[in-house]
Amino acid sequence: MDESRHRPLSRRRLLQVSALAVPGAWALAACAREQPLGAPSAASTSAGGTATGGASPSASGIPIASPQNPVKWPINPGNEPIASGLEPEANATLRIYTYSDYLDKAVLKDFQKAYADYNVAVEVSTFNDYQEAITKIRSGAVPYDLSFLSYNNIGKLVYGDLIRPLNHDYIDNIDNVWQEFQNPWYDQAWQYTVPYVIYTTGIGWRYDLIPEDIGARPNPYDVFWDSKYAGEIAVLDDDREVIGMTILRDGGTDVNTADKAVLGATRDAMLEMLAASQPRVTITGYTDIPEGVLSLSQCWSGDMITAQYYMPEGVDPSVLRYWSPPDGRGLINNDFMCILKGGDNPVLAHHFLNFMLDNDVSLKNFGWVGYQPPLRSLTPESMVSDGYIPENLASAVVKPEWFNVGYPLLELPPEVAGEYEAIWQQFKAGA
Amino acid sequence: MPEVPDRLSRLLWPVLGLPVIVWIALFFLVPFYVVLCVAFGTVDPVFRTPVPIWNPLEWQFTQVQVVWDRLFGPDNFYLPAVLRTLAYVAIAVVSCLIIAFPVAYFTARYAGRRRGLVLALLIAPFWISYMMRMLAWINLLQPDGLVNKIITLGGALPIEVNWLSGNPFTVVMGLIYGYVPYMILPLFVALDRISPSLLEAGRDLGAGGFDLFRRVILPMSLPGVLAGTLLIALPMMGDYFTSDMLSKSPSTTMIGNLINLSIVAPGQAGQAGALLILVLLILLVPMILYTRSNARAEVRS
Repeated sequence: MDESRHRPLSRRRLLQVSALAVPGAWALAACAREQPLGAPSAASTSAGGTATGGASPSASGIPIASPQNPVKWPINPGNEPIASGLEPEANATLRIYTYSDYLDKAVLKDFQKAYADYNVAVEVSTFNDYQEAITKIRSGAVPYDLSFLSYNNIGKLVYGDLIRPLNHDYIDNIDNVWQEFQNPWYDQAWQYTVPYVIYTTGIGWRYDLIPEDIGARPNPYDVFWDSKYAGEIAVLDDDREVIGMTILRDGGTDVNTADKAVLGATRDAMLEMLAASQPRVTITGYTDIPEGVLSLSQCWSGDMITAQYYMPEGVDPSVLRYWSPPDGRGLINNDFMCILKGGDNPVLAHHFLNFMLDNDVSLKNFGWVGYQPPLRSLTPESMVSDGYIPENLASAVVKPEWFNVGYPLLELPPEVAGEYEAIWQQFKAGA
Repeated sequence: MPEVPDRLSRLLWPVLGLPVIVWIALFFLVPFYVVLCVAFGTVDPVFRTPVPIWNPLEWQFTQVQVVWDRLFGPDNFYLPAVLRTLAYVAIAVVSCLIIAFPVAYFTARYAGRRRGLVLALLIAPFWISYMMRMLAWINLLQPDGLVNKIITLGGALPIEVNWLSGNPFTVVMGLIYGYVPYMILPLFVALDRISPSLLEAGRDLGAGGFDLFRRVILPMSLPGVLAGTLLIALPMMGDYFTSDMLSKSPSTTMIGNLINLSIVAPGQAGQAGALLILVLLILLVPMILYTRSNARAEVRS
């Protein structure tokens, strides 16, 4: 070895070299987003509803809304609706808090254009699940004006004094939505909410990768326990959806059960699933399935409709499939839009709700997010014939009558929510 | 006047140390105290958010008990994840050592005038954030990605590997890939310090290649090996991102994932705190051993 060439690297030189790395790393880290993609709804790791369904108050004293026990929420003193006929706030920034990829940016631009006289700006912040959303809204750190949430947290929103009751005078377009959403069981007389989108939870897959008619199985949910597809499949990253699906698979119908025996059996079944098929746990099926990272996944109906736009080159979107119980006896839910009490622009927020319920706006938004609004002008047939939904995904259309027989994921009393969380913890620990 | 400079210098060093002390208090001790207060606190009965208890005398141990039961109780479903983490980290550290040692040795001894360049290249991965690099791997490892195209020679060989199917191999590989530069740098520093004359002396005294390595190079680079091992083992123990990005499967859940999951799940932030304390206690042992061995080494020299 040529010793003369061996010169120890000076400390300064090493520092110089290392310092090179810093600015680049910083810049890139700043660009990187924590979660590249989000997803809609029924997500929520959060607490949810009661078992036997009922406005039966839970131990915490908060009533649990369900289709059998509709709830009319109280209006807390000091939280009365705004007066009628007010001008929208000028030069305002409307702050919207929702899932990512859950609202068409073009629609927001249209809103700004429509309210150009008031010089309105719109800012969208995103969350990954309802629990995160409720926690952040409650902290009051950011004065969000609007949020898109689900009824599995509505009691907390009302009793935590987090949402603002609506003044119906501003929201004529409510007439555009289905009758049942003009007086929903989770918010009688729509005092606090207007509907956003509806969806079922089912199974999405690429037929070229899994050439099987999943719906033809005696029990389609069994596919998640099929070791044949180990490593290719996923379930939703959502405790309520996976526990609910497992309860349905095992013949139950109460997806909000507080029955310890049922929950114990469900937990065991979920651990069996882990052992049999090693599913991944993710809400990004709407990109993973088209890209072939996953062949099959539990997903929301809107996911497969969006998935068409994520197909890699050379793969035809017609290979996408979606199954949910064709008789409607599956998980079915909706999200709503609500005005948050902490927001600075309540009048503008009312105008925004009305804008979003406009037929054309709502359809445009549907065309981008893939989640179906409960519009009267949309029929299951027209959605396919108008090209919103391709033939092969006609099963992803949510039919109105399914809300009479399907199973919504309700808010859970806190003590029951703890049990669901423990099951989910064990499932995700991979034990 | 020896008194004045004496008093000055007595004051000087604490004053110079003050910013660091304030820094540590503000950004380590205070947050850590908050973690303790959450871990030993309660949970809001309705919103299920953590309610910290600030007074240590009133601390409750229910959350810690829950975590303890999940680790060592009859229903110990945390334990497999802990053992899994230890195994992954052990394999990854050993692999990093095997990969890093020759690279560091080459850079220290043979890179000659180009060592600056070689070091810059070794540091280059830091130009890109860890998450971006993991996202890149997702692309490469996809079923029709570059990796599979290469190992099947463009589809000629009937090999089908789904790297992203929750494969433990992929997660360990991700860990190795992510942390190996942190191993190379301390090793390089240690190897660079070994005087060439010592190697010459070893050779003069009749040591062959392997003996030279075993009896001179390895013992003298031991501080670097230890530092590198600690430097990568500590963050790996808390890593959740690699498994989240490259696997997303419960079958590769690590301790970091358990903590992350507890934080995002309602009502369990306290358990996350308790888990965090546990990891800290586990990591404290090698840390103490390391500082003690360092102190002893200093005394010896």
